[in-house]
This record gives sequence, structure tokens and C-alpha cells, in this order.
Amino acid sequence: MNAIAGNRQKASVIIIGGGIQGCSTAYQLAKRGVDVIVLEKDRVARHASGVNAGGVRLLGRDIAEVPLSKVAMQRWQTLDDELDGDTGFRRRSLINIAADEADMQTLQKRQALMHGQGYFHETMIDQQELRERLPHVADYCVGGVVSETDGYAIPYKSVFAFRQAAARAGAEFAEGQQVQRLRRIGNNWLVETASGRYEAEYLVNCAGAWADQIAVMMGDNCPMTYSAPMLMITTRMPHFATPVVGAVSRPLSFKQFENGTVLIGGGAKGFADRARNTTRLDYAKLAVGASNAVDFFPIMRTATVNRMWAGLEAYMPDNLPVISASVNSPNAFHAFGFSAHGFQLGPVIGEVLADLVTTGRSEFDLSAFRVDRFERKVL
Amino acid sequence: MTDSYDIAVIGAGPAGMSAAITASAAGARVVVLDDKPRAGGQIYRNVTDSPLKNTDLLGEDYTKGAALVEQFNACRAEKITAANVWHVGDNGEILFSQAGASASLTAREVVISVGAMERPFPIPGWHLPGVMTAGSAQVMLKSDGLVRDGAVFAGSGPLLYLIVAQYLRLGVKVKALVDTTPKQNYLAAASLLPGALGHTDVLTKGIGLLNEIRRAGVPVYKYAEDLSIRGEQQAEGLSFTAKGESHSLDAAHIFLHQGVIPNLNMTRATGVEHVWNREQLSWQPRLNSWGQTSVAHIAVAGDGSGIIGADAAALSGQLVAWQQLVRLGLISPENAENHSRPLQQKLQRYQGLRRFIDRLYKPADALRKPEQQETMVCRCEEQTRGQLKAAFDQGARLPDELKGLTRCGMGPCQGRQCGHTVSELLAQWQGCEVEAVGYYRLRSPMRLINLTELARFQPHRQASAVEVKS
Ligand SMILES: Cc1cc2nc3c(=O)[nH]c(=O)nc-3n(C[C@H](O)[C@H](O)[C@H](O)COP(=O)(O)OP(=O)(O)OC[C@H]3O[C@@H](n4cnc5c(N)ncnc54)[C@H](O)[C@@H]3O)c2cc1C
Ligand SMILES: Cc1cc2nc3c(=O)[nH]c(=O)nc-3n(C[C@H](O)[C@H](O)[C@H](O)COP(=O)(O)OP(=O)(O)OC[C@H]3O[C@@H](n4cnc5c(N)ncnc54)[C@H](O)[C@@H]3O)c2cc1C
Repeated sequence: MNAIAGNRQKASVIIIGGGIQGCSTAYQLAKRGVDVIVLEKDRVARHASGVNAGGVRLLGRDIAEVPLSKVAMQRWQTLDDELDGDTGFRRRSLINIAADEADMQTLQKRQALMHGQGYFHETMIDQQELRERLPHVADYCVGGVVSETDGYAIPYKSVFAFRQAAARAGAEFAEGQQVQRLRRIGNNWLVETASGRYEAEYLVNCAGAWADQIAVMMGDNCPMTYSAPMLMITTRMPHFATPVVGAVSRPLSFKQFENGTVLIGGGAKGFADRARNTTRLDYAKLAVGASNAVDFFPIMRTATVNRMWAGLEAYMPDNLPVISASVNSPNAFHAFGFSAHGFQLGPVIGEVLADLVTTGRSEFDLSAFRVDRFERKVL
Repeated sequence: MTDSYDIAVIGAGPAGMSAAITASAAGARVVVLDDKPRAGGQIYRNVTDSPLKNTDLLGEDYTKGAALVEQFNACRAEKITAANVWHVGDNGEILFSQAGASASLTAREVVISVGAMERPFPIPGWHLPGVMTAGSAQVMLKSDGLVRDGAVFAGSGPLLYLIVAQYLRLGVKVKALVDTTPKQNYLAAASLLPGALGHTDVLTKGIGLLNEIRRAGVPVYKYAEDLSIRGEQQAEGLSFTAKGESHSLDAAHIFLHQGVIPNLNMTRATGVEHVWNREQLSWQPRLNSWGQTSVAHIAVAGDGSGIIGADAAALSGQLVAWQQLVRLGLISPENAENHSRPLQQKLQRYQGLRRFIDRLYKPADALRKPEQQETMVCRCEEQTRGQLKAAFDQGARLPDELKGLTRCGMGPCQGRQCGHTVSELLAQWQGCEVEAVGYYRLRSPMRLINLTELARFQPHRQASAVEVKS
């Protein structure tokens, strides 16, 4: 990778990582007139943010994430206008299918919990309505739950739109710049890459599956792991499903795009080699995903798989992200560990981090996302 | 069939067959997989079992393959035909699809010998029905005995002339041969002629073919430029200029060809390193002089390693086999050295000829890097040169970035028809080397695979696995 250094070496804020979180944060900061440089070790959108399933999902979120996710969902509805770009967002609704009565009971419990918290965006549907919304669903499916505002976007295009908007607002992007060392000199951060030196007052860690390494450089330990969730996509099929589809208790998620191709995911993980930027696929697990798809939607029996891939993603033990000021360093912030559902949060994460950097506070309760939340519990 | 071998050879053309014959004779446990019902590869397709009454009409270069195919059929290697290999892992794992079911096997050493494909020919209208590659015309002929009357053949290169001649010998009418070999190529190639002189037989054969075509009364238009195919729903004809004059020929069938390039999807998806060959204007795996890739146990032989032709392909197959036999501990390095040296010397001599042919038939820039905005580059996703340029102007610099913005390369051909064009266009627009731009990041499946078949797939199902009972 050729280093494509930006023109400037000094800024108020340096963001490490050019995924959706880094680009969204750069956009929000630049829009507020803050000068910002994004350092990306490869190319912008090269990793999880550019190759994910594009699911823009509020349905089924952990309670702690719901406030963030709800605001993000509002932003997605008008994001193309906001960014003056093309994210490919389509509002299609998302349905999680209940395969049996046990699934329906799970949904009932969830509904009670959500209503108790004052959240009403998830609506249970019965078998008849399920069939109306998804005429090709297998006969045995008994119902499900729907969130109307959900949909999908095109991952690479979305990150690109954030990047372009950020650049127009004055943010600088330097690609091929792997951050190797951080030093605190006086009130400033000195950032060293293989071929350059940068300086800033504030640092934001948006380094995805490598973020624990940056966290350590900032003095924060955390039990982040990384893995390689896998996806496959078919060739074009006749249109048969408008909503995005998930399942209550089985690892299945899929969506049919406007061009007829069907993207099949569901959380199955391959093997991640982050030192080499690569992943290996686990075909046995992909076979299970294929089997679930055919099982829920018999029309997919004749589908043809065109591509399979995986991306490198950061996971936390509780599957909740870290969105937090550094505990051990001043003027440093984290946003990582999105555990395979961070794409949807992109628009709001930028706002939260821009607030943290410029005001030290956020309107959201971020206590569930502290970087040191495990330190206090373990040992 | 067991599921673990010393050597797995993928592709039973001259390269793969030769590798298998050499390796199995030396005692290695070899398996050969090929997606066709019979061995032979592109050149010797159906040579022992032709639908044509008189195969001599196809030429001696074809019929002489029968001996190699027979030798291969008699060798001890296990043959798995009609098997589409869709994954070769850098860990020795091979997954393939046969009769609607997928299976897996493992091998200590792997030979990838999947041959070549025809270079895409991105001119206006090349995506219209009625337009095919000359090679597909030949495939129809060799496997089904099918031909098309009154077609126009356009392009450049020995294979094009051969196919036209094969058509004529079968009594099929050919409307015209539109030769796009640029005039300056003849001059440029002349200086390389001495290096090719060891192969006068091949050179005279080429000249002989063109004479044969002329004698048959087929109009030959030399130095053709500015090609475009007319028609809205269907090809109706070919327009071009030749020696300063405009021409327009009516034809419902137009066969295009401008040389062949290595089949790359398998080596790419396997993750071995590739380099850009400036003479051949194509990507090829980076190999050492033994045919090994950057992953030591994976070797590439034949046209898949860079275009070398059928005879050299067979030699390169033997060469990689000797090296793998050493790695397997079946023969001594000295023994392999003795067998390899003459092979390497012969391959060296073929290179002189190859350089001459490459220079002479180097396709013109305008036929590789379309200049008109409307010309289709990615046929599957219908992305024109203009649409790709717009995405480039927005900031896309690498093939994967262009793909992310436009979907080029995401369709069912898996980038085969647009990959080289995209690499070259991006390099041109940035004024940099093609090497710096790279290629799409490819993944398995290297062939399309049915979802139900995948659903039923159980890799690593080992029938002989020891059950531990307590
Ligand atoms: C296959 C797959 C499917 C998914 N599906 C969905 C979905 O449907 N919906 C959803 O909401 N989420 C989904 N996700 C999750 C989502 O993609 C991620 O949570 C999100 O993209 C994370 O964004 P990020 O910016 O934190 O990380 P990334 O996109 O990984 O960006 C981090 C960047 O930091 C760079 N970097 C790392 N270290 C350094 C360093 N030292 N110096 C400089 N740069 C560095 C990396 O190169 C990388 O580009 C999926 C993820 C995967 C892999
Ligand atoms: C369309 C076409 C026509 C040609 N015709 C001639 C000709 O008439 N005369 C001539 O001198 N040269 C011809 N050539 C050039 C010729 O192909 C080569 O010089 C020679 O055949 C190369 O031998 P090889 O062993 O490298 O590959 P090939 O002979 O091409 O053999 C490769 C084999 O691998 C198989 N294969 C590929 N992918 C897979 C997979 N995923 N799974 C399983 N099997 C696979 C192929 O079906 C094929 O049988 C032609 C090339 C092309 C592309």
C-alpha cells in the first residue's frame, strides 16, 4: 500500500481509523469547524464498514443501545440529503420471523420489556400478517416482529458519502498511514506512522478490529476480541421479498436488493488473521446459513451463490460497544467493539464523539459503554 | 475415492495431464479434477471423441493431442471429471461440485493448471446478442459440431486465424476477417524475429493460415481501427475503418478475438501473489523458475501461469511435477534437477517465440481501454466506461473502490470480463503503473454454486474418522 499522506501534519483532532465511525466523526467535527485529520492504515472503508451486510436495524437492539439506535435511525431516513451523497439507504422494514410457539413466547417477553421502558417501535405480527408481508415464507412459520423504519444501505457507498461530506467540510484524510506509536508531549498527542508524524490536541480511536491496540497505546486495557463474520450473495432472482428478514432464534438474516440479488448473513464467523488483514471462510458454517435460508424461503432452493466473504470486526464480551473517554489519558476517546451491529449506529456515533471532543459531554447515557466497565467487575 | 492425496491437479489440459503423468509415474498419489466430461483442455477438447467425422480438418496441432490424452487416460492418477472446483484454500483444501453435490479433498501439493480465457474485447456493442468470442465459436465446433454461416471474424492473433481456417475447411461461409493487428506491430516485432527463428515451423504455419483464408476468397481487412458493432437489440453488423477507409459490414454473427489471458480467478482467490506482465498486458501469478507460487505448496502450470502455448504448457506441467516430487520426498533434488534442466532449456526457447508473438499481436490500446463513454466495460452490471470514469472522478482509485461505488465486477462472471479493463483504465486515469492499481480482491466460490447444494455440503466429512468409544 502506497502511503498517501495528507497535506497537513497538525490538527486539533486526529481520528485513527477510516471506517464509518471515523468518517462520521470527521464529518461532525469538520461541520462544526474543528480541523481534523483521519489516519487510515489501509484505505477508507477497506474493512468492516465497507463490506458488511448493510443492515440498518433498530429491531432487537440491546436496551442500552436503543436510545442511540433510535436517533441513528432518524438520521438514516434523510442521510442522503444531509451528506449530499448516495448511501443507498432504503426503508424496507425488518421482520424477525418466529418459527414456532417458543419463538412467539420469546417475542412476548421482549415486548413486555420494551413497553415497560416506553419503547413501542417493535410490533408483533401473527401468521397471516407475516404471510402478507412475506408471501414466500415457509408455511410452518407462525408469526414475527416488525420494525417499520428499518432497512438497508450500501456499506461502501455510505462510508464514501460520509468521507466526501467530511472532506468538503475541510477534514483531511491520510491513507496508508498505520499508527504505530502515540506519545504525549506537553498538552499534545504526537502520533507516529511508518512514514509520517502528526500532532493533535485530541485523539479519537475508531480503529475497529485493531482498536484494542490503540487503546493500549492510550493506556486503556480492555477485553476486546475480533472475528470474521461471513456473508454470501446470490445472483439476481425474481423479486420475492421487500422487507429485510431475520429470525428470532436461528442464525439467519437476509435481504433482497433492488437488483434482485439476495444477501445472506446471520452471524456465522470464519477465521480472522488481523495481522495480515485477511480472513478465511468456514464453509461448514456457510452451509448451515444456506440451509436456513432455503428452509425459511423454499423459493431460494434454486438460488445461485455468486460471492462469499468475511470482514474483520471487533467484539466485546457483552456485545456492546465502547463509546467512552479514555480513563487513563486526557483528551482521548474511544468508539469501537460494535460486535457486528455498528453500521447502523454510524450517523449517531459521529455526533456523540464530536460532542465528547468539543464539550466533554453527551446527551446520551453512555455508562453501559465505558471502556473500563469490565475492569470493575472482573477480579 | 479417498479424500487425501499427494498431489491434486486442477485442470486436465496439456499442462495438467503432463503433470499428472509425470508425478503418478514416479509413485505419487495424484488426483486430477476437470470440469469437462473428458480430459484434453481447451486445445484438445474431445480429441479422442469428436462429434466431427474428420478431425484432420481441425489441423495437426489438434489431432496430435490424442496421444497425450491417451497416455493420460492410461496413467495411474485418479481422474475426477465433470468436477467444478470452486475453492482452493492455501491450506491444501479443495472443494468441488460434481453432479449437483459438493465434496472436499485435501492434497499436500497442488497444481493449478486451469488454462486461459480470451481477452475481453470492449468495443461499442460487444455486449449485444449475436456477438461472441471466436473461441466460443470453436468450442461449439469441437464439442457439438455446431457452426454459424456468414459470420464476421474480427480481431488479431494466431488463434483467430486458426479458427477461421477451421471454419473454412468445414465448408462454412465466412463473410470477412477484420484484422486489427496494428501496423506498427509488424515493425516492432521484426527486431524480435531472430529469437523466434528456432520455431520456423510455427511461424510458417501462421503465414500459411492467412494465405489459406485469402485463397478461400474471404475478404481480409488489415489494420482495422475504430471498431463498433451496430444494432439495438441484436448485432446487425460491424463498422470500422481500415487504411483510412470506412467500412460497414452486415452480419448477424460477429466473432471477436484479441488473444488469450490467464484464467485468474482461482489463483487470485487462493491468495497467491500476482504481477502485471507488460508484454502480455495481463496479470499472472508470481512464480519461481519451478512454477511455485508465493505459497510453496501451490504451483501453477500452463497458460494459467502466463500465456505460453500448448506445447510449452505440457513442458511446464512436467516441470512443476518434478519439483513437487522433491517436496514430497519421493525423488532426490539431483534427480529432479536432471529431469528439469532440459525442460527449462526448452521452455526458454519457447520464450523467444512467445516474445515475438506477443509483440506482433499486442492488442491496440483503444481495443483494451475503451475511449467512448457509452462502451460497456462491466457487462453483468451494465457499467459503461463513462459511469466508471464518473466514479473515478468522485475519488475511487482501486478496482475494489470502483466496484464499491458502481458494482462493476460484482455480477455472475465474477469480474472475468471487466477485471483487466478496470485495472488498465484506472492506471491510465491516474498515470501510474497497472501494478500499483492491482485487481479486484477475489474470493471463493470461483464458480457459481447452487444454494441447495451448499446447504447440503458437509466439508471434512471423513468416513474413515476413528470413533473413540469410552
Ligand atoms: C460481514 C459483516 C457484516 C456486518 N453486518 C452489519 C449489519 O448488517 N448492520 C450493522 O449495523 N453492522 C454490521 N456489521 C458491523 C459493522 O460493519 C461494524 O460494526 C462497523 O462497520 C464498525 O465500524 P468501525 O469504523 O468501527 O470499524 P472499521 O470499518 O473496521 O474501521 C476501522 C478502521 O481503522 C483502521 N485502523 C486500524 N488500526 C489502525 C491503525 N493503527 N492506524 C490507522 N488506521 C487503523 C482499519 O484499517 C479500519 O479501516 C457487520 C460487520 C461485518 C464484518
Ligand atoms: C477458447 C480458447 C480456444 C483455444 N484454442 C486453441 C487452439 O485451437 N489451438 C491452440 O494451439 N491453442 C488454443 N488455445 C490456447 C490453448 O488453450 C492453450 O495453449 C493450451 O490449451 C493451454 O493448456 P493448459 O493445460 O494450460 O490449459 P487448458 O488446455 O485450457 O486446460 C485447462 C483445463 O482446466 C479446466 N478448468 C478450468 N477451471 C476449472 C475449474 N474451476 N474446475 C475444474 N476444471 C477447470 C478447463 O475446463 C480445462 O479443461 C485456446 C485457448 C482458448 C481460451
